[in-house]
Amino acid sequence: MVQEKRILYEHLDVPNINTFDVFRQHDGYTRFEKAIAEYQPEEIADMVKEAGLKGRGGAGFSTGEKWSFVPRDIEPRYLCCNADESEPGTFSNRYVLEKNPHLLIEGILICCYAMGIETTYIYIRGEFTLGKKMLDAAIKEAYEQGYLGENVRDTGLNINIYSHPGAGAYICGEETGLIESLEGKRGQPRNKPPFPAVQGVFMKPTVVQNVETLCNLPFIVGNGVEWYTQMGPTYGDARFDPPKADPNTGTKLYCISGDVNEPGVYELELGLTCTELIEVAGGLRGEEVKAVIPGGSSAPILTQYELDTRLDFTSLTLAKSMLGSGGIIVMNETRNIVDCLLNIMKFYAHESCGQCTPCRWGTPWVRDIVQRIADGEGRQTTITRPKFGITESGRWGDTGETEEIYEDLDLLENVANNIANVDTMTWNTICVFGIAVSWPAVSYMRKFRPEFEAAIRESKLVTLPVAEATVPPEENYAYQQRIIPKEMVDLE
Amino acid sequence: MSEEIIQIETPFQFSEENKREFDELIGRYPVKEAAMLPTLHLAQRQEGYITPAVMKYVAELLELSVMKVKDVVTFYPMFFEEPVGKYVIRICHTLPCALRDCKVVLDHLKEKLGTDVASETNLAKGTTDDGKFTLMKVECLASCDVAPVIMVNDDLYKNLTPEKVDEILEQLPN
Ligand SMILES: Cc1cc2nc3c(=O)[nH]c(=O)nc-3n(C[C@H](O)[C@H](O)[C@H](O)COP(=O)(O)O)c2cc1C
Ligand code: SF4
Ligand code: FES
Repeated sequence: MVQEKRILYEHLDVPNINTFDVFRQHDGYTRFEKAIAEYQPEEIADMVKEAGLKGRGGAGFSTGEKWSFVPRDIEPRYLCCNADESEPGTFSNRYVLEKNPHLLIEGILICCYAMGIETTYIYIRGEFTLGKKMLDAAIKEAYEQGYLGENVRDTGLNINIYSHPGAGAYICGEETGLIESLEGKRGQPRNKPPFPAVQGVFMKPTVVQNVETLCNLPFIVGNGVEWYTQMGPTYGDARFDPPKADPNTGTKLYCISGDVNEPGVYELELGLTCTELIEVAGGLRGEEVKAVIPGGSSAPILTQYELDTRLDFTSLTLAKSMLGSGGIIVMNETRNIVDCLLNIMKFYAHESCGQCTPCRWGTPWVRDIVQRIADGEGRQTTITRPKFGITESGRWGDTGETEEIYEDLDLLENVANNIANVDTMTWNTICVFGIAVSWPAVSYMRKFRPEFEAAIRESKLVTLPVAEATVPPEENYAYQQRIIPKEMVDLE
Repeated sequence: MSEEIIQIETPFQFSEENKREFDELIGRYPVKEAAMLPTLHLAQRQEGYITPAVMKYVAELLELSVMKVKDVVTFYPMFFEEPVGKYVIRICHTLPCALRDCKVVLDHLKEKLGTDVASETNLAKGTTDDGKFTLMKVECLASCDVAPVIMVNDDLYKNLTPEKVDEILEQLPN
């Protein structure tokens, strides 16, 4: 069985690790000290790039590369730590904030040193009252100990960290929404470009980074790039193996919830399969896996045939899904996929910020269609097409071919694809919230179409046995596109 | 809505302690407007909800129009524009909690409190007659591993069952 590999979470359960003294006894701040003593800022940025660290907040963008876009001649530059964690199914940042906030502060210090940043805002979710309390206490201690403030540890660096509470809007997790919200406005995302790295908060260059991403920094600096790149899957393919272009290095805080016996956060090396993860989380609660959402509710769903997909950035992208925030939601044979989609669509309809017409109107429309299907009022029509043949009267003419059409399913796909098209990956909206809506909508419907059809046909929710509810692999477009990592040989 | 039309019965003002906290807050940002959310949180903690008087006061503090403040208040679900109960009960109903039967907990709460669920535009609907509780549904509280969960004011309660809900409600001081 796969073993947990606790690095970020190693000292999470040490009593009082949230205090400076105990954190210090567990190597606390030594990595920051090593960074200033042994490396130039640019060297740190290079190390992060070489280590292949990718953003853990959702987009999975290379952190080192993001840093390289920041113009170093514009002052001041800012760091915004994204602690807004609101993607359904994700709960790993919360534990860091509540139990080990000094680790985050150390990560921030390293980032600030590398990027020459003096001011950091930690945008923390409004509901995280305990997290904010613990974090504020840790920040206060760090100031008292001289790790924050003016002339940090006699190095001449000035670094300030402020926590900033959100107020319950999911869209403030999107980086430009976060920036708007931080500026005291409605959290409505901005058009990109300009990207935050160039014009972010207060129109200055801004690095936006997730809590987990920042918490990786002390370990990259402390243990070195080589140590870091050894963690993660090896594919035997130069393009995916570290330290090449598309690396999957390090560990991930996998959050697993739903139908497993021991839900929770498990820190594991990137690249184990869904089946292995379910096993680590105490096994399935129920008889059979019906579906797995691999990266927070925005990610396209995986079926029972796709459970051998590895949970890393590359493999999930090839499976036409995403690792996203690492929130894995498991559903067993008793679950109705229409019902699950309805729940998720209610969430998105509630959270759309309302700036773009396709999203503002399309999302509630998708929700209403799914609601209608779930209520047993899904629309179905019979259409007649002209067709030449021998008619009843024995003459050559139009015999009229009839076909049953699940009108609402076509409509659902149409509306969703007009918010953001999942096949071409183009969207008609300002931010990628649009994709986060149409991805689940279209993937659930395509992969579990029999269950949607049954609900319309029988005018009520029908939970089909797993094998019947799932579109078989040979008809599943996404499945055919998928390449199982082990056999990734002739990709070119 | 402009400043003149708002009917303000009693003006609002920060308590001494909150004023001090505000003064510290405002120094953190290069522009005053950025202190909006923390300032509104402070005000709501003092007043219970965001009244027109609060908006006017905050607008003055941050040197903005009242309209701008109102604009922000209406966007964020955590700011209330109507009075709420002494205890605000937030129940999560997103997928992972739904897979762990949050509906049973919700139905139990509704029955026990004898109230419906508040909507964002009608908080009174979810508030008990004695003004002690307001019940509202919220989206994922980032605690799906211990689902189903509720928050009572600032405290999170995990792995709930109807029995546990009863215990929690009984413990709350009047
Ligand atoms: C709708 C939406 C919601 C998001 N929510 C979060 C979030 O709650 N936390 C987070 O860290 N990133 C979230 N992101 C991703 C951020 O936009 C951004 O990519 C991330 O904070 C960058 O940090 P990273 O590179 O360290 O991952 C969200 C993105 C979108 C489109
Ligand atoms: S896509 Fe939706 S959430 Fe994103 S900016 Fe447009 S309306 Fe707002
Ligand atoms: S779904 Fe309820 S806490 Fe995440």
